[in-house]
Amino acid sequence: MISPGERVAVAVSGGKDSVTLLHLLAELGEMKKFEVVAISIDEGIRGYRDRSIRVAKENTNSIGIEHVTGEFERYFGETLDGMVRLAKRKKMSLYPCTYCGVMRRYLLNKLAREVGATKLATAHNLDDEVQAIMLNYIRGDLSRLQRLGPVYFSREGFVPRIKPLREIPEKEVAVYALLRKFKVHLAKCPYATGIHTEIRDFLNGLEARHPNSKFMILRTFDSVKARLSLHSEEFETRSCKICGEPTSSDVCKSCKLLGELGLLRP
Amino acid sequence: MVEVREGKKIRKVMVKSRSTINDILRELGYNREEVVVRLNGKIVAEEEELSRGDSIEVIRIVTGG
Repeated sequence: MISPGERVAVAVSGGKDSVTLLHLLAELGEMKKFEVVAISIDEGIRGYRDRSIRVAKENTNSIGIEHVTGEFERYFGETLDGMVRLAKRKKMSLYPCTYCGVMRRYLLNKLAREVGATKLATAHNLDDEVQAIMLNYIRGDLSRLQRLGPVYFSREGFVPRIKPLREIPEKEVAVYALLRKFKVHLAKCPYATGIHTEIRDFLNGLEARHPNSKFMILRTFDSVKARLSLHSEEFETRSCKICGEPTSSDVCKSCKLLGELGLLRP
Repeated sequence: MVEVREGKKIRKVMVKSRSTINDILRELGYNREEVVVRLNGKIVAEEEELSRGDSIEVIRIVTGG
């Protein structure tokens, strides 16, 4: 997953999973001789992300790790809170998690590339991964399903993504963070609702009654995926006509969403 | 009787002999997947049996986002 001499960017929100991953990779980097740099994305969710990023910075400061932050407001001209308000005024149906997900991934990749990272590590745990499998099954999204894995090599312009905690249950990450006394931000995102939460509750109910269900869903998915050899649609990497970032079409998804909100800068 | 605390919320709960943390969690409507429990200040497995006068802290770990 990581070789000596690499420069690994870790996405750190300040939550228990990303703070744990940061410390683990920093410690492992000392032993295995790779560099670690932290990246935080400030979507602009008042009373939530500002606090979690403060915690992320306390952690990187305490272990002397380089830390860069990318704000939605600076890069996209508006905070996520502002986008939600704007969509309401325009009577658009905006699902905050869609905007947040697309634009956060965009910024993480851009910043990871700018800091010279050879890998981008995210702290998705077993629970996150199984929720994503279920969600994409329900939506029939084969393209997203095939991207789920421990390592994802994409196209030119995209930093390869790794998920070192993919097989670790959320609860075990939490226990580890508490035992190590890491400073973490434990709060619920005010926008977290809808089908994601329903799938999470369903899976946690299943796991409580039938232990090991989550892990088996992941294992079975991995073996089915390998046998089906799902392929992403072959696409040529182009540069977005508006922002220049890599994309599969003329205009990247972030710019499309910003355009719908009337936030594209001339 | 044991004391169960989650944040500022404190509840006193009657326990039968050989009751475990799991029994209490179930009784109070918690899913064990979504919490970590400290028993008298120490993180423990939910199979741990309780004694009268024990103090339980419930930490919600599922946050989302």
